[in-house]
Amino acid sequence: MDSTPSPTPHSLQLVALSQFKPSASSRAWVSIPNANGLPFLATATSDKTARVYSLVDFTLHSTLEGGHSRSVRSVAWKPQVSKSTDGTRTLCLATGSFDATMGIWRRREGVEGGKENGQLEIERSDGEDNVDGLEVEITRAGAKRSGFEDDKSESEDDWEFALVLEGHESEIKHVAWSPSGQWLASCSRDKSIWIWEEIGEEGEDEWETIAVLQEHTADVKCVCWREDDGNGEVLASASYDDTIRLWREIDGEGEWGCFAVLDGHEGTVWSLEWEPAVSQRLFGMESTTDEDTPKRTPRLMSSSADTTIRVWTLQPAPPPPNRPSYFNPSIPSTMRPAPVEETWTCTAILPKVHDLPVYSISWSKKTGRVVSTGGDGRVAVYEEITKGRTRVGGEIETEWVVLGVLEGGHGPYEINNVTWCTRFDPGRQRDDEEIVVTTGDDGAIRAWSILDSK
Amino acid sequence: MGSAKELDNANPTILSASELQSQRQRRKGRDASAKEEGIREILMAKPSYALDPFYLSEYSDTDSDDDSTLEPIDEQEIYDLIAPISDPEHPLSLESLGVVKLQDVHLISPPDLANPAALSRVLVELTPTVTHCSLATVIGLGVRVRLEQALPPSYRVEVKIKKDTHSQSEEVNKQLADKERVAAALENANLMGILRKMMEPCQD
Repeated sequence: MDSTPSPTPHSLQLVALSQFKPSASSRAWVSIPNANGLPFLATATSDKTARVYSLVDFTLHSTLEGGHSRSVRSVAWKPQVSKSTDGTRTLCLATGSFDATMGIWRRREGVEGGKENGQLEIERSDGEDNVDGLEVEITRAGAKRSGFEDDKSESEDDWEFALVLEGHESEIKHVAWSPSGQWLASCSRDKSIWIWEEIGEEGEDEWETIAVLQEHTADVKCVCWREDDGNGEVLASASYDDTIRLWREIDGEGEWGCFAVLDGHEGTVWSLEWEPAVSQRLFGMESTTDEDTPKRTPRLMSSSADTTIRVWTLQPAPPPPNRPSYFNPSIPSTMRPAPVEETWTCTAILPKVHDLPVYSISWSKKTGRVVSTGGDGRVAVYEEITKGRTRVGGEIETEWVVLGVLEGGHGPYEINNVTWCTRFDPGRQRDDEEIVVTTGDDGAIRAWSILDSK
Repeated sequence: MGSAKELDNANPTILSASELQSQRQRRKGRDASAKEEGIREILMAKPSYALDPFYLSEYSDTDSDDDSTLEPIDEQEIYDLIAPISDPEHPLSLESLGVVKLQDVHLISPPDLANPAALSRVLVELTPTVTHCSLATVIGLGVRVRLEQALPPSYRVEVKIKKDTHSQSEEVNKQLADKERVAAALENANLMGILRKMMEPCQD
């Protein structure tokens, strides 16, 4: 099958690897690889369920059902799999639905007693046998559990719908766990973003609303967390109001606020991705090799209904002339003016590939490559390359190039989501090999391997 | 919504039968099966497995003879799909109210019709009966849903309010173009009730 248009000199091909089976019979919205390197993929579908698939053999692993009365639009893995003393581990997922609620789900997963860490097991570099071994191990452990233990909980396959988080007034569009696992953000057509925190021990299901952020003037489509760089985790949000906003805890007392507005898109902003460390290393200033120098602030990438993909960069700000009254503790917090705002500008627009809304982008943590997809059914892979320097000691100039374009990844159907994903199936060539997973209006979830001809 | 006592436009202009552009009667006589589900099957130029990039066909296009007998979809056919939709306020069709007009149905077909992934683009411009019509969004939603259900999945449907015919056309257009909002709207039972009623004349 040759899906790429022949005249274009692309150096990369997306090759059909597998389709996850069985697929949903109606629209699938998004698929997210497990946050802790386990070989699972969670998918949100319009049939009111979420599904977990195995990345080892591309089959359905388990289904999260009965928790929502309308489409499940979004799903997020909680970072860090908690392990109990009996060797089982608990997977935790959050789901966001058009029914305006968010669900927290847990599933106890048997792990053989002798093995300390399932994650290590998977990431060990023994090659295919070991990957296969993992599946066997889970199966064996599961059988062992039901055989030895007098487990009164339901069957191994069941996810427990642990908790429902209510508060939004209309459809939840996206949910995202912060990289530390401390916060869970949700956003909605009701224009608000809620930040939640689990305050009790894991499993006690005590949650608190930390903040309700309401400065967007229309639906909030996407929320995306930036890793803590020493100043706390930052949340970016994208909206139907065509803007992106950045939020953080602004006073160390739990007060959250918006500190930047990124204005430039001419349509709904659908998707956001923070720059991974690998790109920061590649394109940072030379001094970043020195560990004492703070790293450049990660850039932000956004995709929009205006069919563009943009890169946003923090602009260096001149120091304020005097200490803003915001920091003056003698003024009540409600009376203080907004905190010093950061200025972010659009510093690059990726080469145009799409001619319909770009619903999803993914920025690889391993290679720094970007993959995009959208209403036109195309899947495009881009790479940032160095052009050189305009002056000695100046910033490295880069440009984005298209490495490959796949037409009609889901036949005539729109593709709602694309993500990079570690490869776990027996065909993988290298430990750090990545595949691309697409999720479409046809309910299908497809895996694509990368054929690099460079 | 749309209660009888506060109609946006109590006395709309209604086109006479001779002014209607619909060719439904003629087409019905020609091919009685070419409606509803039948439309999709007949117009799909390829069997569904051909749409699957994972399907590695060794003998592709052996059915290409059949393709030549298929009539490609044209603007008239798209117009005929939406013309009978009834207005949510009046028991009248969008055609007779002049909300949809044949000349405002635009179709761009891909050069290569045999490629199952090649997309056709449909743009329908609506003319609301009054510039403040509060039901423009619902009517637009009805038109979009009707076409998405009746046309093959390779058709990308855009429904817009015709320029200068509505005070909030930009807002309405943006809503109608947002697939997520449309999807959520279709899970709303009240709205679906209204849409079903609007679609009733299409079932004939």
